[in-house]
Amino acid sequence: MKEMEVLGLSEIQPEDIKEEKRVIAFLLNEELIGINIKNIIKITKKLDITPVPKTAEHIMGVMNLRGNIVPVVNIKKMLDLPNADNVDEQEFILIIDTELGNIGLMIDKVVGAITIEDEEIQPAPINSIGIDSRYITGVIVTDEEIGNKNLLILLDIDKLFHKNEEETEARAS
Amino acid sequence: MHMEFTEDMQEILDEFIQEAEEIIENLDQELIELENNPTDTELLNQIFRGMHTLKGGAGFLGLESIINLAHVIESIFDKLRNGEMQLDSNKMDIILEGIDIIKNSIETLKSSNEIPDMEDIADIMTKLNDLLEGKEVETATMQENVTEVPQSDAPEANDQVPAADNTDDKESEEYEIIFHEDVDPAIQNLIRRYPDKNITEILDELILLPPEERDMDLIMKLDELIAQNKDVDDLIKEKRKKETASAPEPAPAQEPTSKPAVAEQKPTPKKEAPKPAPKKKKEESETIRIDIDRVSTLMNLVGELVLDRNRIVKLTSRFQGNCDDIEAIEELNEAIAGMSRSVSDLQEVVMKLRMQPVKRIFSKFPRIVRDLAKKVGKKINLELEGEDTEIDRSILNQLEDPLIHLVRNSIDHGIEPPEERIAKDKPEAGTIVLSALQEGDRIIVSIEDDGRGIDAEKVKKKAIERGLITPEQAEQMSDKEAYELIFLPGFSTVDKVSDLSGRGVGMDVVANVIHSLRGAIEIDSEPGEGTKITMKLPLTVAIIRTLMVGVGDRIFAIPLFSVVEIIKYRPEDIKDVGTYKSLMLRDEVYLFFHLNELFDMEGGHENKFVIIINIGEKNIAVAVDDLYGEEEIVIKPLGEMLKDVEGIAGATITGDGKVVLILDIKSLINDKRNDLIGVI
Repeated sequence: MKEMEVLGLSEIQPEDIKEEKRVIAFLLNEELIGINIKNIIKITKKLDITPVPKTAEHIMGVMNLRGNIVPVVNIKKMLDLPNADNVDEQEFILIIDTELGNIGLMIDKVVGAITIEDEEIQPAPINSIGIDSRYITGVIVTDEEIGNKNLLILLDIDKLFHKNEEETEARAS
Repeated sequence: MHMEFTEDMQEILDEFIQEAEEIIENLDQELIELENNPTDTELLNQIFRGMHTLKGGAGFLGLESIINLAHVIESIFDKLRNGEMQLDSNKMDIILEGIDIIKNSIETLKSSNEIPDMEDIADIMTKLNDLLEGKEVETATMQENVTEVPQSDAPEANDQVPAADNTDDKESEEYEIIFHEDVDPAIQNLIRRYPDKNITEILDELILLPPEERDMDLIMKLDELIAQNKDVDDLIKEKRKKETASAPEPAPAQEPTSKPAVAEQKPTPKKEAPKPAPKKKKEESETIRIDIDRVSTLMNLVGELVLDRNRIVKLTSRFQGNCDDIEAIEELNEAIAGMSRSVSDLQEVVMKLRMQPVKRIFSKFPRIVRDLAKKVGKKINLELEGEDTEIDRSILNQLEDPLIHLVRNSIDHGIEPPEERIAKDKPEAGTIVLSALQEGDRIIVSIEDDGRGIDAEKVKKKAIERGLITPEQAEQMSDKEAYELIFLPGFSTVDKVSDLSGRGVGMDVVANVIHSLRGAIEIDSEPGEGTKITMKLPLTVAIIRTLMVGVGDRIFAIPLFSVVEIIKYRPEDIKDVGTYKSLMLRDEVYLFFHLNELFDMEGGHENKFVIIINIGEKNIAVAVDDLYGEEEIVIKPLGEMLKDVEGIAGATITGDGKVVLILDIKSLINDKRNDLIGVI
């Protein structure tokens, strides 16, 4: 909102229209995670994944997405979440668009699309949710329970999948 | 100086850059040829025309520094071709320097719309003008007599206008020129104004005018005339002596008036402005320039089509077993066979679209060799062979740097200084042969010199010093194996960094580039006789033929060009030799691996076949469980995230929609290479 004011736009904006975003919410274990819908290409059922030898542990392999090769990431493993090895139970892959091209994320369950307002986003509580806070844009406490949870964690895709790894690491530390 | 262009002009600019690049590319070679053959009129004319075209285009776009440089160089060549000046090596150096600046200017123009300011090129302009005038002193008297306008002082374009006017006055007193009726009045005026000049020269005068006085329409009209091969004489019906000076047509006064008039008569849209490329007119009607992106898109589409074809073929064979309508199946098969043919043809045609003759990069070498040879005081003849061999554009682009490096190496380390060569009973001038030829679906590019060759023992010694091999390993090594050491990372970091070769790129980089193109590189050398480096490259990048193999439940594709032989797996042929196993086949010993071992994977308990794979200098044996036959596949990248995975060159999607990884055995072996030296 600050930027809006800087640009002098706050005056023209009718007061009842707030900055809205749509996020796709899904479950990793019991955590409710959201990714901005603009980063999401497609949600697909798990297809054949071809493992790629000699890659990092969190890389599941590659899959065929409409004729293109897309790497699939075990996001639980990447984020150091528990139960990262029960991939057989994961049935959905979220295809996201990143700086590194399209990437598939293994998720437990799709919850749905949620509309959120920028104002609602709060800074992530440090170390309380088991996900490194540098990968989190913020959290939202929702009024109603979605999938038994009322805390939605917004993942920062740009920080997770960045072209220059070292740079990200350096900046974070 | 930063240049701004409108959208329309941008288009013209793009065309100009393209053309300029072509001209300069040819120029390098032409100039070197010229140095050996300084009086070749055809060559001189060609260079003159090239410079002229360049100047015309630059003039159109108002690229001041390029115009001036091109103009003075053109003038120099005009003198050379008229025999008014003799070329020597020093003059050539200055000319080459000037051309280099034009070359750089075109590059910066392309990348950032920047061209040098006039001050930046003042130095070279002075040198070039001195060069031009150096001879002019001798011919000055002659020029005065014929009242020829000196074409020399390029940068001071304004000075020339009055000069031209003077002659004009003098001439118009003497002659009355009667033109054919269809000749444009503006052109008539021009010819009257510059009576002793031919059309090309008149065009030059116009181009050199300051931008605000430059009449674009007129320039275009002149260009048209040149394109039609017409000159002043073709336009003039009669040229008779004037009896009175009653009706002189003072050109200077008319010039400005004619400008708006012309503009009204024929408002030629600037977009269609033809480039001053008279010589090319005929060829252009038969070729078109296509954006490389479009060709790439086409290539991708054809790739998809190939995949779909594979898929349909597979599906049909499935139907064959459980369909009663045999006739329908037969018809289907026929249709598929027809489609397959068309798809293959299409694939080939599209592939050819991307092919370019190696001439494109070979043509840069005469210049490079000349400069480097001069620098190190060696005499070197460069021979180019198979310049018309065509290879995929993207491969060609990546080939340039390695080739330059290899040629540098030859000049720097290979060819001996003249005294040494004479002492060795060799011809004083060394020879480097750069050649390209097609062999099946591979292109062989080689660089051969008749220099001192490589001393295998020295190489070994150095490798031991650098800790790359142990003395024991060195002992067992053949010469050829020793040469391969040169490609190891860490070998070519020479202590005495030479001006030529030591530019931070080692032979390992060269080998890596060739390897990343799925090519192979090898060295042959005969001490005292010379060295030959041979690179084998694929014709195209996108589609390759592979052998499908299985390990456990996984399928991999091995590029067919690296498959030497397939044999049955027989445990009794395998022997344990220290750390590694080896396979005996017809008296040859191959290093032996299970494919799953190489990838640290499970499986490999049911090895049935052994594939002998070429990994550049060596063949190795790799055991697999199953063979699924040959398949033509389209290579797809694994994406940014996985681009550096060892041992995998990419992936493809098979007929049934599965992703199959393409193996790159060589890079897999790479990390084991050091241990393997002497073993294999």
